[in-house]
Amino acid sequence: MLEIDDLHVTLTEENRAILRGVGLCVPKGEAHAIMGPNGSGKSTLAYVLAGREGYRVTRGKVRWNGEDVLAMAPEERAAKGMFLAFQYPVEIPGVATLTFLRTALNAVLRKRGERELTTPEFMKKVRAEAAKLGIAEDILKRPLNVGFSGGEKKRMEILQMAVLAPSLCVMDETDSGLDIDAVRVVADGVNRLRDKDRALVVITHYQRLLNYIVPDRVHVMAAGRIQKTGGKELALALERSGYAEFTSA
Amino acid sequence: MTLTATKTKAEQALSRNFEAVFGRLPGSAEVGEARKAAIGAFATLGLPHRRIEAWKYTDLRSLFRDALPPAIGADEADGEVTAAAIERALEGLATLEAHRLVFVDGAYRGDLSTPAPDRTTFTTLAAALAGAGGFTAELLTASRAPEHEAIIALNTAFMSDGAILHIGERLAAPLLVVFVRAGRQGRLVTTRNRITIGAGARATVIEAHVALAEAAPGQSNTLSEVCLAEAAHLDHVKLTLAGEGASQLATWMVALGARARYRAFQLTAATALARNSLFATFAGEEAKLDFSSCFLGRGSQHSDTTLVVDHAAPAGESRELFKGVLADRARSIFQGKVIVRQDAQKTDGKQMAQALMLSDTAEFDCKPELEIHADDVACGHGATSAEIDPDMLFYLLARGIPPPEARTLLIESFIGEAIDRLESEPVRSAMWRSAKERLLTLAHSQKAEDR
Repeated sequence: MLEIDDLHVTLTEENRAILRGVGLCVPKGEAHAIMGPNGSGKSTLAYVLAGREGYRVTRGKVRWNGEDVLAMAPEERAAKGMFLAFQYPVEIPGVATLTFLRTALNAVLRKRGERELTTPEFMKKVRAEAAKLGIAEDILKRPLNVGFSGGEKKRMEILQMAVLAPSLCVMDETDSGLDIDAVRVVADGVNRLRDKDRALVVITHYQRLLNYIVPDRVHVMAAGRIQKTGGKELALALERSGYAEFTSA
Repeated sequence: MTLTATKTKAEQALSRNFEAVFGRLPGSAEVGEARKAAIGAFATLGLPHRRIEAWKYTDLRSLFRDALPPAIGADEADGEVTAAAIERALEGLATLEAHRLVFVDGAYRGDLSTPAPDRTTFTTLAAALAGAGGFTAELLTASRAPEHEAIIALNTAFMSDGAILHIGERLAAPLLVVFVRAGRQGRLVTTRNRITIGAGARATVIEAHVALAEAAPGQSNTLSEVCLAEAAHLDHVKLTLAGEGASQLATWMVALGARARYRAFQLTAATALARNSLFATFAGEEAKLDFSSCFLGRGSQHSDTTLVVDHAAPAGESRELFKGVLADRARSIFQGKVIVRQDAQKTDGKQMAQALMLSDTAEFDCKPELEIHADDVACGHGATSAEIDPDMLFYLLARGIPPPEARTLLIESFIGEAIDRLESEPVRSAMWRSAKERLLTLAHSQKAEDR
């Protein structure tokens, strides 16, 4: 269970408050959508959950399975099963995708006290997941994300999710820049990972993705706070009415 | 009236040491005269200092507190140098399938070497100086190394041994020339090599300057003259792991004939002070030079790579890439001078020097110089100095990779561009092994409060 309690966050460099009391609870086995206009703080929330620098928490708590997340370094959060699928995955020249994936997986397995995979075991797993996502093997040999199209980068994030098997997946605008077919491939990949032990947080502007990744709850975020929560119908309502009622005042 | 600077302790010691060992240095009477002239020239010039432009960042006059006595022959019984100890010192190069020529403390050791390949002429410098093969001490291209006369003079004065190689055909396996420091007393080792590649011939020559774990820190002055005939190809690799507290002055002087290809790679680490000077002259048209170099520095290690590439013939192509990874108070200098003579039309020269700074106290000095006298050329240079990219680092951390491993991956990514220029996979592997040995230490050396 992910519990976010009255979270206030300031952007360190500009000393500007971005999150003004976010409260959210995502139980295991559920998928929650966070929708909202630009500037609402959705990506900030994702970054703060992942532990990125540049943000100062001025109030509030974040707990994952009862543990204080904000006290953990990013690599510790990953070891505890947290995963952020980035909106803009960074390119890392000179680091082969396979090398990166293997290093990440083995680090997480080690932390969990599990055995590292042998090369054949690892390759088998990666190939299987890559095939389901339509990722060609030669892309895996290339440096991470370098020269990848937007769609390829997003599918690569989902491939990492499939291989690392996190228990909390936060997806930051995974559908942005994707065409209809790509959205389906990505959504299918995410849906394959849905189970009773996994919590999903899907951050998106658009209702379209939620046709495929059907949420259990929908939260509307604006001006740094969750303003409204509802079922999946709320997403459809937003599609019709837009965010106007949340952005005034 | 000329004002002469007071001789420093090191300068005085060098002149004194020469007197002491002169009688034991190899060579004919003619060679002896050349040595005396050289030490005389050195006495006039003194050690290079910061007011000499090429030595601006590496002031040897102040860096050398003393001059170690020369290691002449096996004049100290320091105990057996075992083949196993040399393997350890060679790191990844130990398992390379190669012809091997081994010099211990500046003296050739046939018992530790393998026979030279067919169609390759090999003589030791010591034998050549004594009269075998009609060698003269006349340096091929001394005049083409301005501001380096003192260092070359010291090399001429003290040179004890080295490899004289002529390769006339295509050599399949590389030639590994090992210069290993073994002595438990600090010594000055001076070596000179001459490598000539015949027309259309191809070879890979690797110079490994390494030290046994129990060796005392030493000083070395090594010079390699390289001559590539028409359409000759040489891959020239240098691994320098001279040892903590050790210093090395290395000078490579290269002449490229028409359509020759010279690919050079240098990896320097675990050395207190390293000066790698390269003088390359395009003597014939359409020749190509590709130089890439990597320095891994920590503590207060100091590395200075100074290149002078002289396009004296048309349609030449030169590429230079330098990568420095600097932790603690390490210092790296890159000076790249490219001269394009009036008749060297269609010259294409590119240079890039990059430093990855892992601490606030590291320093990178970069001085590119382009002296262009022709009007139809394409020349450019670039330099960057940066810390590890925080966004890339965060991405790796967020995937569960611990900080030292994440930094190591990014440092590998940085130096990969230089190491991956090596064409030979086994040599590339060997260089990666030596680099990776050091990377985790570099990655760990970040200050405690940094991530």
